[in-house]
Amino acid sequence: MASDSHHPQHPSISQYWKIAGLLAVLTAIEVSLFYIDDALELGALNVAMLLILAALKFVIVVGWYMHLRFERPMLNRFFAAGFILALGLYGVVLAAMGIVAIRGS
Amino acid sequence: MAEAVHPEAHGHAEHESTGVDSRKLGMWLFLSSEFLFFGALITNYLLYSNRTGFNIYPREVYDIPFTSVSSFVLLMSSLTMVLAHNAVARDDQPQARTWLFATAALGSVFLAGQVFEFTEFIVHYDMKLTTNPVASAFYVLTGFHGLHVAIGVFMLLSLWGISRFKGRLSEEKGMNVEMVGLYWHFVDIIWIVIFTVVYLIDAARV
Amino acid sequence: MTDVAARPVTTIYRKPRSETGLWSWITTVDHKRIGTMYGYAAFFFFLLGGIEALLLRVHLAQANSEFLTAGAYNSLFTMHGTTMIFLFVMPASAAFFNYLLPLQLGARDVAFPRLNALSWWVFFFGAIFLYSSFIFGTAFAPMTPDGVTGNIPINGGPGAFDFLASSPNGGWFGYQPHAGPFYSTGTAMDYWSMGLQILGLASLISSVNFIVTVFNMRAKGMRLLRMPVFAWMTTVVAFLMLFSLPIIAVALFMATFDRQFGSTFFQATNGGDPILWQHLFWLFGHPEVYILILPAMGIVSEVIPTFSRKPLFGYSAVVFAGAAIAFLGFGVWAHHMFASGISPVAQAAFGLATMTIAVPTGIKIFNWLGTIWLGKIKFTTPMLFSIGFVAMFVIGGLSGVTHAVVPSDWQQTDTYYIVAHFHYVLFGGAIFGLFSGLYYWYPKLRGRMMNERLGKLHFWLMLIGMNLTFAPMHWLGLQGMVRRTWKYPEEAGLQTWNQVETVGAFIIALSILVFMYNWWRSKTHGEPSGLDPWDARTIEWMTPNPTPEYNFAVPPVVESLDDFWRRKYAEDEEGRAVRRPEADQVIAELEEIGNNPPQPIHLPNPSYFPFLVGLGITIISYGIIYHTTAWGKALIVGGALLTMASFIGWGIEPLEDEPEDHTPEHLEPAEAL
Ligand SMILES: [Cu+2]
Repeated sequence: MASDSHHPQHPSISQYWKIAGLLAVLTAIEVSLFYIDDALELGALNVAMLLILAALKFVIVVGWYMHLRFERPMLNRFFAAGFILALGLYGVVLAAMGIVAIRGS
Repeated sequence: MAEAVHPEAHGHAEHESTGVDSRKLGMWLFLSSEFLFFGALITNYLLYSNRTGFNIYPREVYDIPFTSVSSFVLLMSSLTMVLAHNAVARDDQPQARTWLFATAALGSVFLAGQVFEFTEFIVHYDMKLTTNPVASAFYVLTGFHGLHVAIGVFMLLSLWGISRFKGRLSEEKGMNVEMVGLYWHFVDIIWIVIFTVVYLIDAARV
Repeated sequence: MTDVAARPVTTIYRKPRSETGLWSWITTVDHKRIGTMYGYAAFFFFLLGGIEALLLRVHLAQANSEFLTAGAYNSLFTMHGTTMIFLFVMPASAAFFNYLLPLQLGARDVAFPRLNALSWWVFFFGAIFLYSSFIFGTAFAPMTPDGVTGNIPINGGPGAFDFLASSPNGGWFGYQPHAGPFYSTGTAMDYWSMGLQILGLASLISSVNFIVTVFNMRAKGMRLLRMPVFAWMTTVVAFLMLFSLPIIAVALFMATFDRQFGSTFFQATNGGDPILWQHLFWLFGHPEVYILILPAMGIVSEVIPTFSRKPLFGYSAVVFAGAAIAFLGFGVWAHHMFASGISPVAQAAFGLATMTIAVPTGIKIFNWLGTIWLGKIKFTTPMLFSIGFVAMFVIGGLSGVTHAVVPSDWQQTDTYYIVAHFHYVLFGGAIFGLFSGLYYWYPKLRGRMMNERLGKLHFWLMLIGMNLTFAPMHWLGLQGMVRRTWKYPEEAGLQTWNQVETVGAFIIALSILVFMYNWWRSKTHGEPSGLDPWDARTIEWMTPNPTPEYNFAVPPVVESLDDFWRRKYAEDEEGRAVRRPEADQVIAELEEIGNNPPQPIHLPNPSYFPFLVGLGITIISYGIIYHTTAWGKALIVGGALLTMASFIGWGIEPLEDEPEDHTPEHLEPAEAL
């Protein structure tokens, strides 16, 4: 199992620090976007940008800190299955309960 | 030789049918199911947050600068976690202990921030669990996330204790550090989603 | 980790393990013992749920009946449904999963033996917790006939058995806000929501365990598409549980928060939306029906080929159809909500989606028929139950399609027509399948056969009894008999068929008594089965009976689907099976080696931590119900401390308890069977 869990291509310590710096920068952009929006009233565009930034942070943590990038595809698929299923099912629930439509209006 | 012992030699990468450590596979499956758990809680929040007519909404009382700082603390605890794992892999026990403890400490700071936030909301804004469904949804969502963090802190401190009082974190325990690490990072990414969807985007509508 | 051999060996297989005391059962991590305990517990609750059903049937045999009080009636139909689903069919399926999955994969145990024990003990305590509501629970009527609200005990009123009225009474799907704090005062529904929470946790843990087992514990050569269909259905069910149980967990937590801590998620008076409960419940509830039926389908897919003496027709189609049913099963939940005012678009979409499930289900039915077709059929008891399964399930499946048609569903909602439908698929389906499996695999448990004459008597009584009980419900429902209603008026003309149903229910009860006698008697009087009593196809029959603690003395190496059959039979030019001359020799050798392992075999240590964790979680749950009292808070703290301490103990328990540590590293090569 040791051989399995420590792939040679895992990020090095300095890379871990750089990734943390990147995450910090992304968070800073997120929070400032929130305040810029107060002035500019970007609306849907702001929401889209915030979601993209969150997705980036999500992917970075999962891919590098959780090493999913370096794991077998099987783990990727299982993990994605739960995520996609949750998005799909709860999206339909919110649509059926009239929330997605209300947001758009 | 390898052929004859194959089927019951699980626990060893070279013998597992898929080549993925069983504990790791199990942990990923569990985390995958957690999406459905937190997804339901976030759905619950989004549903009521978009209903009109409540006397108070969490988005009206959010303290975004404060939550940004505590989110940052949790984000950085992922760094210390991954450094702890790296130290165990290198068999650097003192370093591993330090980073494990740092991770637990950062997690505790986050939890303390949450306690402070809840207290603020209840005392200053009179927004309680019982006030209305959207307040209930906020407290139950962030509360269950906090419970996950607390369980993570408990596991981190257990590992730290094992290392401190039982000598060292062995290779097998190294697997355990990896398990706790996966769990910890997962709790972090759930917070990334909550911070953006429940705090920033929702508060931007005020 | 190359120095496995250097680690101390704490357990070496002792032949045969003589501990039979209570403590050995409490600490066991053996998948077969755990499976056996699941099985007996499930059967015990089957009897309780059956007694509840009989009381209901006696009550309904009379128009305007006052045999039961209204409160007792509510509790009995709620506990009957809850028991049969969560305390009987699910754990009975878990019993088969536990006992058979490692054997069918050619493994010595599941991937995480201690987690497996944890699943069992959490289930066990959860079941006790739920049923303790009969003793500790309280239920009050929210409203008197005069319209006065308040804590008026449900007790009293016309009828008997009122002492049963203190258990959960909100129906097995606990609809809100009826099951909420305002309309179900008292603790009865708290026991229900917390009890299901505990039971769900047990199933979630085992789902992870079974998936990892399937992916990582297969014998050499056991590719995924060589696994027996039952192992495949176990996998599919495990995925269903993995992804659906977290949803109901959230719903139950929300209900508990409403009831215990004053949140108002589902309480319309405070802006809550009860429809959200329906969505969350059925997001879980529909996958749940496949969690109940797919294990039985797996069993039937093993039994029918064995007794048709043909390979399963369209093996991969059956496997993929099972997976397709599971996948589609996540997208149809709102067909339970057609009468709740969801939008026309949603009704049309969910109606259509529901109908598509008939396609993979139909594929399975035709594959079973195709297997039987032109087979050399042996009408043994397990085969009869499997054929009964197919026939009854088709009836239930067809009435199910009629619910997918929205206008007809409006007519059927909350009538006995629905009750008829799900009893055909769950009694005629799941229960027939489970009994088929019990008769089929009994030799693996006891090394003896069950009596065939009694078995056939059981089958025919049960088939007649179930059709008498449930068929009339179709037309009673269409005539307007509503479910979950204490009385029906005499003028409605429903009484005659209700009496027929009651007679049918007692015939079912009689058939179960025959089964119990057979089970008990066969333990000592059954014919010795030998290793291969049915001329079986799959590798779980390659171990001696009863199954030795170590399963396979020498792990099998698999070369094909139905590997045991391949070792016994060859094909002639026309594709017919011809018994190999050495077949008897093969069986004799398996018996010989299976009973005399050539090398010592290390098995995982017993552990008492799973038991303690289960106990701790249950203590916390009691504490939550009574959290407003000082002793309730003490229970929460005490339970939490016990749980945490047990987990720490678990964590530092020597790793020799991990499954990897019964690796027989001294095993000589050779002897690949
Ligand atoms: Cu359904």
